[in-house]
Amino acid sequence: MTETKRRVGVYVCHCGGNISDVIDVQKVVDGVANIEDVVVARREMFMCSDPGQNLIAEDIAAHNLDRVVVAACSPSLHEATFRGTLKRSGLNPYLYEHVNIREQASWCHKDDPEGGTRKATRLVAAGIAKARNLVPLDPVRVPVTRAVAVVGGGIAGLRSAIDLAKSSFEVHVIERAADLGGHLARPGRVYPTDEPAQDLLTGLLAQARSLPGLTLHTETELVASTGYLGNFRLTLQGPSGEPRELTVGSIVLATGFEHYQPSLGELGFGMSDRVVTLPDFIERLDPRGPTGGQIVKDGKPVQRVVFIHCVGSRQLEGVHVPPEGGRLYEHCSRVCCTTALFASIELARKFPQVDIFDVYQDIRTYGRGQEDIYEAAARAGVTFFRVAGDAPPTVEIDASGAITVRLVDLLTFNEPIEMPVDLVVLVTGMIPRDITPLIEMFKLPRSPDGFLQEVHPKLRPVEVCVDGLFIAGACQAPMDVAEAAASASAASAKAACLLGGDVISLDPFVASIQAELCDGCGLCLAECVYVKALTRAEGETVPVVNTALCKGCGMCAAVCPHEAITVRGWEIKQYDAMVDAIVATGGHP
Amino acid sequence: MNTITDAVVIGGGIAGLQVALDLADQGFDVVIVEKEPSIGGKMISLSKVFPTLDCSSCICTPRMAAAAHHERITIMTCSEVQAVQRVGEHFSVTIRTRPRYVIESACIGCRKCEYACPVLVPHEFEGNLGARRAIYVPFTNAMPQVALLDVENCTFCGACARACPTDAIDYLQEPAITEMEAGAVVVASGYALTETQTADRYGGGKLANVLTGLQMERLLAPHGPYGRVLRPSDGRIPDTVAFVQCAGSRDHSLPEGQGVPWCSRVCCMYAIKQAMLLSGSLPLVDITIYYMDIRAFGKGFEQFYQNARAMGINFVKARVARITEGENANPVLRIERIEEDGRVEDQPHDMVVLTPGIVAGWDPSSVIPVQIGSDGFVLSEHASLAPCRTRVPGVFVAGTASGPKDIPDSIVEAGAAAMEAANHLRRTAYASRRRTEAEAGGR
Amino acid sequence: MGRVDRITDEHPMNEQKPKILVLATESCAYPGADYVGQIHASYPSNTYILRVPAPVIFPEAFYLRCFEKGIAGIIVMACGHECPYEGAYDRLARRVAVVRTRMRELGMDPQRLRLCSICTVCARPFLKEIHEMDAFLSQATTGSVTT
Repeated sequence: MTETKRRVGVYVCHCGGNISDVIDVQKVVDGVANIEDVVVARREMFMCSDPGQNLIAEDIAAHNLDRVVVAACSPSLHEATFRGTLKRSGLNPYLYEHVNIREQASWCHKDDPEGGTRKATRLVAAGIAKARNLVPLDPVRVPVTRAVAVVGGGIAGLRSAIDLAKSSFEVHVIERAADLGGHLARPGRVYPTDEPAQDLLTGLLAQARSLPGLTLHTETELVASTGYLGNFRLTLQGPSGEPRELTVGSIVLATGFEHYQPSLGELGFGMSDRVVTLPDFIERLDPRGPTGGQIVKDGKPVQRVVFIHCVGSRQLEGVHVPPEGGRLYEHCSRVCCTTALFASIELARKFPQVDIFDVYQDIRTYGRGQEDIYEAAARAGVTFFRVAGDAPPTVEIDASGAITVRLVDLLTFNEPIEMPVDLVVLVTGMIPRDITPLIEMFKLPRSPDGFLQEVHPKLRPVEVCVDGLFIAGACQAPMDVAEAAASASAASAKAACLLGGDVISLDPFVASIQAELCDGCGLCLAECVYVKALTRAEGETVPVVNTALCKGCGMCAAVCPHEAITVRGWEIKQYDAMVDAIVATGGHP
Repeated sequence: MNTITDAVVIGGGIAGLQVALDLADQGFDVVIVEKEPSIGGKMISLSKVFPTLDCSSCICTPRMAAAAHHERITIMTCSEVQAVQRVGEHFSVTIRTRPRYVIESACIGCRKCEYACPVLVPHEFEGNLGARRAIYVPFTNAMPQVALLDVENCTFCGACARACPTDAIDYLQEPAITEMEAGAVVVASGYALTETQTADRYGGGKLANVLTGLQMERLLAPHGPYGRVLRPSDGRIPDTVAFVQCAGSRDHSLPEGQGVPWCSRVCCMYAIKQAMLLSGSLPLVDITIYYMDIRAFGKGFEQFYQNARAMGINFVKARVARITEGENANPVLRIERIEEDGRVEDQPHDMVVLTPGIVAGWDPSSVIPVQIGSDGFVLSEHASLAPCRTRVPGVFVAGTASGPKDIPDSIVEAGAAAMEAANHLRRTAYASRRRTEAEAGGR
Repeated sequence: MGRVDRITDEHPMNEQKPKILVLATESCAYPGADYVGQIHASYPSNTYILRVPAPVIFPEAFYLRCFEKGIAGIIVMACGHECPYEGAYDRLARRVAVVRTRMRELGMDPQRLRLCSICTVCARPFLKEIHEMDAFLSQATTGSVTT
């Protein structure tokens, strides 16, 4: 039991009959009125109403209450209301305890009013027991540096940097390569706006360069990071060779993807210069590209072109063979169906004489306007063949260099097709980029597909398990330009929410260690492996809680042999006191 | 109510909620205008969501609660935006709130009125498979937990008014008009479904055991109308269930309102998910998905699809030409196979799920001069680089208001729309100017 | 230690039925229990639901103390793999298994402690868990199960 005397006010709500029709609220009040430290115990028709809240405020003033318990509906509805009442009355809002006797008593014990009343009395007694053990809490406040580092200077990185610079944050874009833009810097047109990718990039770069507070660091790598949200201390390695220190409040990872590179001999790749990947083909289609927009065979325009989908995507065990030391890519790369069809339309437009074939499993033109692209490709004369995922086509190149594609077409009753072609376009997928140093630096988890793992695909799609770190664009999953831009802006929004003020205000429910009980066994340290909020300095006995990182899960508290660790607001001794109240025999005095 | 705010978000579905939260957490005041009596949109009615199979309510309710409790967010339900007028760099937004006939500030959501009401009508939230009263809390986890009276079906017997402990029933409530001044507007008005089940070829809406995807969601939800999956015609557990993909999508032949030519983007995945949930709850059920292409394009989707195949769910590439009713009210599907021998056959099933097309839920162009595509969805200023900016400065779009989208994509886009709107508010210095004025006004 | 029937006595404020303690997670099971109330479904009133962010916080000794104090049965209602705290659910499951082993060693029926996952709208699984525990404990107190 607590030694300090408390002054507890207890209020039981009728909820206009919703509670009092089942539960004898007077009995509940009588049952708890004499519990130690209870100064006032009352019932009221509607505690949440202004008169109800005023009653609490008046009692706090008149009776000098220092703890308040309200027994009413679910805390999800009115816990915040009554915390507010305390705050307005000059009490710390965490000196409040809410007891649920509507959803979890009167409404589910309609046929047992006596049992319901008994239960409600014990729950209120338990609430009082917890209240007597409550201590004032304050939000954890973390000072912040109003600056953001964006790792990666492709579409996602630039988009994110521009957003944040417009929000008047200091922004540093850290790009490994000499040039910005990533895949966008290559020749070729992009759907759905049918613009040269390079034009998009030019516009973005002009915007980025015009914004004060935005610095572009090319040929620069992030090589080390210490600290945590609010204040990450980064070490950058630039072209000069001199490492440079930088402090930022948040980091946006926009490290992008890589195109799947087929292995030698895979569908004829590397065996002929007329077996090319889709990104290379798109470059060739562009007048600014390496072939000046010409697609030729032996100096003459090609006649027959086949696109083979899902190269390096939707791979199946037992069908596809990973390269030595490599892995299978089971995921769908999302953008390649539309990209390939878009390219085939452009091909047909520029070279109307070309016969175009398309070998696919499923055409996934899912996005807005993409079905139109599919239909336009069909109208442009593209001939489609459908193959099963476990029976991919084969590409044979004979001594003369002639290319033959063989497949079994599901659309024509499993007819075996054998076709000579002039050019094979392998519709290659998007695969995760090797960013091992960053993954190790921040201990980032990856999804089974190898891309960075978000905390939750719906609740927190642009966050990773490291607080203050956000992910933007195709480092999380394959996506097209528009999707990468949206993802980047969403990541910027999260960073802007985090760094908006001078301090970050976090929930006060964090672990706390009673040093005099700690013998330094270190069991708690081994528990806190995910957020790493517990650390112990060399030569010290008692670990230290980083309250900015602690999530208050209590994994550490459970293993402490001396119960020296508690989670503020949810202390084990509070639960023990509640259980004592629930099991107390002889009713409550 | 304060009639000056930073941003008005039209629509309180998952996208609108996320926009509001991401703006409010940046320090902006937001008003959410929701036409339904509860926030939560379509998502709150779903069972579990792909590809993680987590409970939809468990993801949606925390967002609803966060918005409802946020000190910078005001939620107006039963409310529609009637006009948006530009006044200099800000907007004057006219909002009409329909009467609930229940005083919102007085109602405690106890449902005593509901228990007293003698009228039973089909419940829209349950896809009309369950019933509700003429006065009712919209659904169990609705937010706000406030009842509304459906005057169309009310007999004015007075039972609810007598039962109400807070005298919250007001039969004479009038519509209310609020003029809201705002620095930015975000359209997150969501989607609607085509009435594909009413197409002649799919039985004209007369076949009891032909359901829509959203009705199946309710049957699969742990808190659904029957508590489990049963045939509406006779309450029997189905032995064979078919899903007809692209029933209202990728189809030029259906008239407007029954089908759309575009891909509705989520139907493949939700059919696969429903099939998995069905085979989980009814292990003996035989499930067939008739499809054109399986579009499992998102993160983890392809693996989800492959798992479904491994579970024994049948995938048949075929078009369903028509549905008729056979013995025992069994829907009979006329199948045109696209593969194998291309044969045409009649296939009876105990229950059929149609996946209707997705269309825009609201046409904002009647009140805001945003541009609308030929598909009825809002057009972006730049489809690649600024997908959430409309062509009207200060007006943004998020979620399915700009085209069919799954939940992860809608939420990401909502974050982007919030970023765009926040930067617009900062650029026009609307928020700071407004606060200065308010302070000067002696508040 | 561990006799289920020792907590019942004749005082009118004490139920005649053994008490069930429910440790319900703040993000899933506790709103799930609210949901059961919202649909007005009934379950025995000898159930005491305590809200907890993550039940992984409770040390093994806490469970044993509860039993010693007179709690007859404990149901830990967690979020399962939807747990918002990384690594917490697996640890919780391991800890509950350890406590059950310890209970067996102490001559207590390990069925008095159960772990399950309850979602925000999981009304039926919630009721099933409560009813099963209640039925088991009623049987136990009449003497047919050693505790």
